Amino acid sequence: MEYVSPEGLRLDGRRPMEMRQIRAEIGAVSKADGSAIFEMGNTKVIAAVYGPREVQNRSQISNHALVRCEYSMANFSTGDRMRKSKGDRRSTEISLVIRQTMEAAILTHLLPRSQIDIYVQVLQADGGTRSACINAATLALADAGIPMRDLVTSCSAGYLNSTSLLDLNYVEDSAGGPDVTLGILPKLDKVTLLQMDSKLPIDILETVMQLAIEGCKAIANYIREILLENTKQLEYRRGV
Amino acid sequence: MRRIQLPLSQTQKVRLQKTLEQLESLSSKVNSDASVIIADSIPVNHEDGVLKGHGTADLNGEVVATVCGVVERVNKLVYVRSLRSRYKPEVGDIVIGRVVEVAQKRWRLDINFNQDAVLMLSSMNMPDGVQRRRTALDELNMRCIFEENDVVCAEVRGFQHDGLHLQARSRKYGKLNRGQLLSVPPYLVKRQKQHFHHLEEFGIDLIIGCNGFIWVGEHIEAKDDMVEDQVSQSDPQVLLHNSVSLEEQERNYTILETRKYICRAANAVRVLSILSFNMTLEIIKGIIDLSLSMNLDIHEMLGSEFCVLVAEKEAERRSSNKKKR
Amino acid sequence: MLHNKSFVKKTRAGKVMKQVREHYLRDDIYCGAPFCTVCDTSGARLNASPSTTILVVDTNVVLNQIDLLENQAFDNIVVLSIVLEEVKNKNMAVYNRIRALCSNSTKKFYVFSNEYHRDTYVKEMSGETKNDRNDRAIRVATQWYQNHLGGAVKVLLITNDRENKRKASEEGIFAETVESYVKSLDQPDLLDLLVRPASEDVNMEEVEDLRPSKRKVIYSEHKPMSEITSGLHRGIYHQGKLRVNRYNPFEAYVGRESIGDEIVIYGRSNMNRAFDGDVVAVELLPQDQWQEVSSLSIAGEEDENEDEDVHLAPNSADVAPRTIPQQGSSGQVNAVPNRPSGRIVGIIKRNWHSYCGSLEPMPMPAGSGGIAHALFVSKDRRIPKLRIQTRQLENLLDKRIIVAVDSWDRQSRYPSGHYVRTIGEIGDRDTESEVVLIENDINTRPFSSQVLACLPPLPWLVSSEDLSNPIRQDLRHLLVFSVDPPGCKDIDDALHCHALPNGNFEVGVHIADVTNFVHPGTPLDDEASQRGTSVYLVERRIDMLPKPLTEDICSLRSDVERLAFSVIWEMTPEADIISTRYTKSVIKSSAALSYVEAQARMDDSRLRDPITTDLRNMNSLAKKMRLRRIERGALTLASAEVKFQIDTETHDPLDIGMYQIREANQMVEEFMLAANVSVAEQILKSFSLCSLLRRHPTPTREMLEPLLQTAAAVGLHLDVSSSKALADSLDHAVGDDPYFNKLIRILATRCMSQAVYFCSGDLSPPEYHHYGLAAPLYTHFTSPIRRYADVIVHRLLAASLGISKLPSVFQDRLQLSSIADNLNYRHRNGQYAGRASVELHTLIYFRKRPTDTEARIVKIRSNGFFVFVPKYGIEGPIYLTKSGKGNGEWYVDEQQQKIKRMDGSLSYSVLQTVQIHMEVVEPQPNRPKLQLTLI
Repeated sequence: MEYVSPEGLRLDGRRPMEMRQIRAEIGAVSKADGSAIFEMGNTKVIAAVYGPREVQNRSQISNHALVRCEYSMANFSTGDRMRKSKGDRRSTEISLVIRQTMEAAILTHLLPRSQIDIYVQVLQADGGTRSACINAATLALADAGIPMRDLVTSCSAGYLNSTSLLDLNYVEDSAGGPDVTLGILPKLDKVTLLQMDSKLPIDILETVMQLAIEGCKAIANYIREILLENTKQLEYRRGV
Repeated sequence: MRRIQLPLSQTQKVRLQKTLEQLESLSSKVNSDASVIIADSIPVNHEDGVLKGHGTADLNGEVVATVCGVVERVNKLVYVRSLRSRYKPEVGDIVIGRVVEVAQKRWRLDINFNQDAVLMLSSMNMPDGVQRRRTALDELNMRCIFEENDVVCAEVRGFQHDGLHLQARSRKYGKLNRGQLLSVPPYLVKRQKQHFHHLEEFGIDLIIGCNGFIWVGEHIEAKDDMVEDQVSQSDPQVLLHNSVSLEEQERNYTILETRKYICRAANAVRVLSILSFNMTLEIIKGIIDLSLSMNLDIHEMLGSEFCVLVAEKEAERRSSNKKKR
Repeated sequence: MLHNKSFVKKTRAGKVMKQVREHYLRDDIYCGAPFCTVCDTSGARLNASPSTTILVVDTNVVLNQIDLLENQAFDNIVVLSIVLEEVKNKNMAVYNRIRALCSNSTKKFYVFSNEYHRDTYVKEMSGETKNDRNDRAIRVATQWYQNHLGGAVKVLLITNDRENKRKASEEGIFAETVESYVKSLDQPDLLDLLVRPASEDVNMEEVEDLRPSKRKVIYSEHKPMSEITSGLHRGIYHQGKLRVNRYNPFEAYVGRESIGDEIVIYGRSNMNRAFDGDVVAVELLPQDQWQEVSSLSIAGEEDENEDEDVHLAPNSADVAPRTIPQQGSSGQVNAVPNRPSGRIVGIIKRNWHSYCGSLEPMPMPAGSGGIAHALFVSKDRRIPKLRIQTRQLENLLDKRIIVAVDSWDRQSRYPSGHYVRTIGEIGDRDTESEVVLIENDINTRPFSSQVLACLPPLPWLVSSEDLSNPIRQDLRHLLVFSVDPPGCKDIDDALHCHALPNGNFEVGVHIADVTNFVHPGTPLDDEASQRGTSVYLVERRIDMLPKPLTEDICSLRSDVERLAFSVIWEMTPEADIISTRYTKSVIKSSAALSYVEAQARMDDSRLRDPITTDLRNMNSLAKKMRLRRIERGALTLASAEVKFQIDTETHDPLDIGMYQIREANQMVEEFMLAANVSVAEQILKSFSLCSLLRRHPTPTREMLEPLLQTAAAVGLHLDVSSSKALADSLDHAVGDDPYFNKLIRILATRCMSQAVYFCSGDLSPPEYHHYGLAAPLYTHFTSPIRRYADVIVHRLLAASLGISKLPSVFQDRLQLSSIADNLNYRHRNGQYAGRASVELHTLIYFRKRPTDTEARIVKIRSNGFFVFVPKYGIEGPIYLTKSGKGNGEWYVDEQQQKIKRMDGSLSYSVLQTVQIHMEVVEPQPNRPKLQLTLI
């Protein structure tokens, strides 16, 4: 299968180094302490953050905040309208991944005896749901005013037809090639997540990862813009 | 970006947009680049020596923000005042909470903080108003004072080893009845001298809790307490009797007119919450008056048109304030 | 840059799924004209002068007129991405050709991604079919070019679709049909290349008399695609690839799992215009119409007088004529036929390409010089005759030509095609050899300059870096020698053997280190991977790697230092392997022996020199290894390989004889097998999912049926329960004459399928088994100069030793599988080509030498039998009755495998020896063939 034409265009008309159109919106769930919608092309996810709040299970109280995460896919998120059972292996794994990634950024020691719940749901899936979920969760956490070391942004990159591709969509994702999902702390310049379930020679992995880092940084810039604009608006709307 | 969640027609959209721009221009002169987001570095003059306060952290000698908010500087202290976040208690704050648990000698209250707040039985003025040691019997009868889901007004006492403690050692504190509890983001409430308001013209009470919980209820004369005080004795049976009488009281009728005003005031708070405007008595009152003067039904207050109107009025108000200054 | 999205709905077979795809429209797609002032011209490919007309072609033009587009006269063409996409969906072969044109630097073909361009993307309108939408897209793009480049440039849309052309003209686009454009070029010979659309048949009635009846509908209509899909869904129709019997073009098979067996399709009308390799939909015939085994007779049916040719004796089931299982029951009259027969109701995907052949002899039409219509007969018998139109009939009659298929409508008995090019004169050895190569899809083009640029500078010598490289062991002190056929120039293996102080032997197999020169991802590697194998014809060799590598740099010639990849064992005198070591090395071969020389040395007891001693040691080890292998159940199979002696000047064959196998051959073979097995184990250990191995599937009972029948007829019982049992019973099959055993082995060999390459991740370990060698694991490691599989294995081995990195190809199992498939395909084609070349030379040899010889009957048919000529390794039919006449005179005893004359006076049974006469006859001018007759 030809995923990159000799003219250098992918199946959806992007060039290998291009990301899909991204869009973010803060405040989609009014009940939640923080919430956001994040879209990467046709991948749309919604994230809601509750907390920091009283720990539900007393035995888990500690002098760090307890971070919990639940990932789910809406029944209508894919082409076939199948009932998605909650807690299947895939979503458990992704929940864990997101939790660990976000935990690395949250200053949990500032929020003792409390818990933070992150709920992410995929509204529409078109590849790269993990990344979109992480980006949405970052926005929701920032919206909830939870102190963080840095933003976490995530982007995927792959390698098909001997070309590194940024931000794989579903078709490219299901090609069976390597799919590197990367999460970084852009300001600290640190990696918090690196996943790949395929083999890739180390030198190619480096170029693919570099591409993914570029993608993460671009997303970080966008998220910063959105957050800054949001903060300014809140401030001036509030008045003195 | 957090947008105002309203179904707007095209003209309303334009009007709202214009108003927001106006608001922006009004405030931008004050603090244009004070807004920061997570991981933004905050420019400081290191030679002065800085104290890093809340919402900041050190990154390779640089002061960076850890939350989104506004940079505030007080002498050497630099901190970030976060906007949308949970309530940050300060001693002496008047807060409103909801009882989530009745435990040993204490109630746990949800006050929109990172954890539930504790109101000790001993930090409560007993209904009889007598200062005395609390007996085991008192403990058994705690539910006669506050039950689960009761709304309680109290004051922040401070942090103890096991969390945040509240106290309610005055008559103005205590259980709140016959009204509505509203929850708004805490940053919209500014600490003021007075948080208890009696809106005489409507016969309602308005308590603006520092934690973003706002109570709107029928006005209760402080006298009521006195009457009860006289009735009740330290006798536990009286306490029991007392609770019955409270129930009776609940059955008491609040006149329609007052109820309407309560709703009106509650809606005014809601409108402000939608628009993310500051909650002050003056503004709330203004909105109630506006709705009355326009002869709006209570439910119409939540319509888009009214919201836009409130926004416009608020812009007007702020600009006139500015001019005055 | 990112502009817009559109949504596409897609349905999949059976299930309706909504699929939403993004589609980004861009503004950075350039027109490709170098003189354009707006666009970025760095990637421009079109003609630099604005005065040349820019052509835009539509899909059908590309699909049908690809031969024309490949002609030099066609240039400065814009190929739209929508056109490419449609072509890709319809015909992959044409797609590859147009892609090759687009990347050919001498042609000015530019691909314009109109589907992704902001201004040329068109949305499907409601009620518009996909085709109409695409036509509109082509027109929009053409218009865009015209507007974009301004009036100074003429942009011409080439379309054969009348409606499209009309609409184009309405929209103010210049449009022409291919025919009118070619005519305007004023090059009449181009017209031959032109494909006539099927609807223009009307003006060809003067040739209709070639056909039995005019305008008669000969074939039934193909069902519409929707009906086929629903039929397939309901299980009424069966889908599959049509495989036409190589030896009987009127019989074809469609394999289908769902009914357990394959469906047989008899006759042209049931085949309903399908070609070999087409994906077709088949409907089963009612059971009473199931025909039984008409192939019992040798000759063809219907009115075409095609009959069996004499050909080389097959050496595996893949090349042997199909025999029918359950023959035992089929001789009786009115036996219930049990092979499902079917007829083709529709063609899902065509496999048309171009074919080699010649024109059927015909008288020159009266008005010579005009357009003549001729029938083309393909060399490949599976292909029906083709009707073509030509203006140069007199030139073409005695030529081998290439013709492409265009269409086949219901009224025509034969499909119509068009002339592509001439190869040469019929019967000419060079021409025929080229035909063989083309038929087998073998690339004979010289290596491109990019490929040659990858070679190390000549003269090449082992450098000091190579010697000091820590991964490379210096083995120059060892006494290494090679044993190969005489005159071998691509020596890829060498051996050494020396006694160790402890009484054991150190034996080393040194293989040319080709991967030191062929690096993954280079043009050289791509080319080699494409070619897959060197091809050995009788008079020439087509190399996989360029000559300097093949014959010099890699070849382990004597007395020069060469780089090698070595497998070194320590073996006990009983030939048990104690340890195995793999290393890259530098060796210096001390002798390049031929098999004959090596054999002579070993046999000459006076010789005591070190090489001879080593040879003898090795031979004794090899014998033990061989014995052990046979005990394990390895089959000793035989094939009737022949050897030609070629005249050095005329390249004509002088003599022909069986290939003699000596002990020395077996010795070398034994060590190569051992090396391959050791390497297979090593690479599989490191890369269990992406190793390239070679397997030989266990033959099924049906495959062995003909062998068992023949054996039973001569009173021989063969046990085929395992390879060991078969090997034993073959050993015991001793007849009254010395050749009997070999004959049985030859018959056994042709029942087996060929061994194949595969990627270890695609199969489970029990399936890795190599039946013929009785080895659980096997691969090819020892001939990297002439087989690409070995190059891959070298890389795997190097990676498993940590010497080098594993190239990225191995990460991608799909890609590796496709490489394995290509290697199998190339390997098989290479073998076919080799055989075809031998057949060709056999014919040339017998042309001047009619011969009487001995032959053995191998198969009985109703009107004759097949004989095998051991001396020349050929097989062919002998007719007892004149073809066309009834066969009342003879009857066949299936059980006994005998053909008897009715009066019982004469009978022939299988494996019987007969005397025959061989002679080349020319039943038609320019069509020589070898004829066998009974003396």
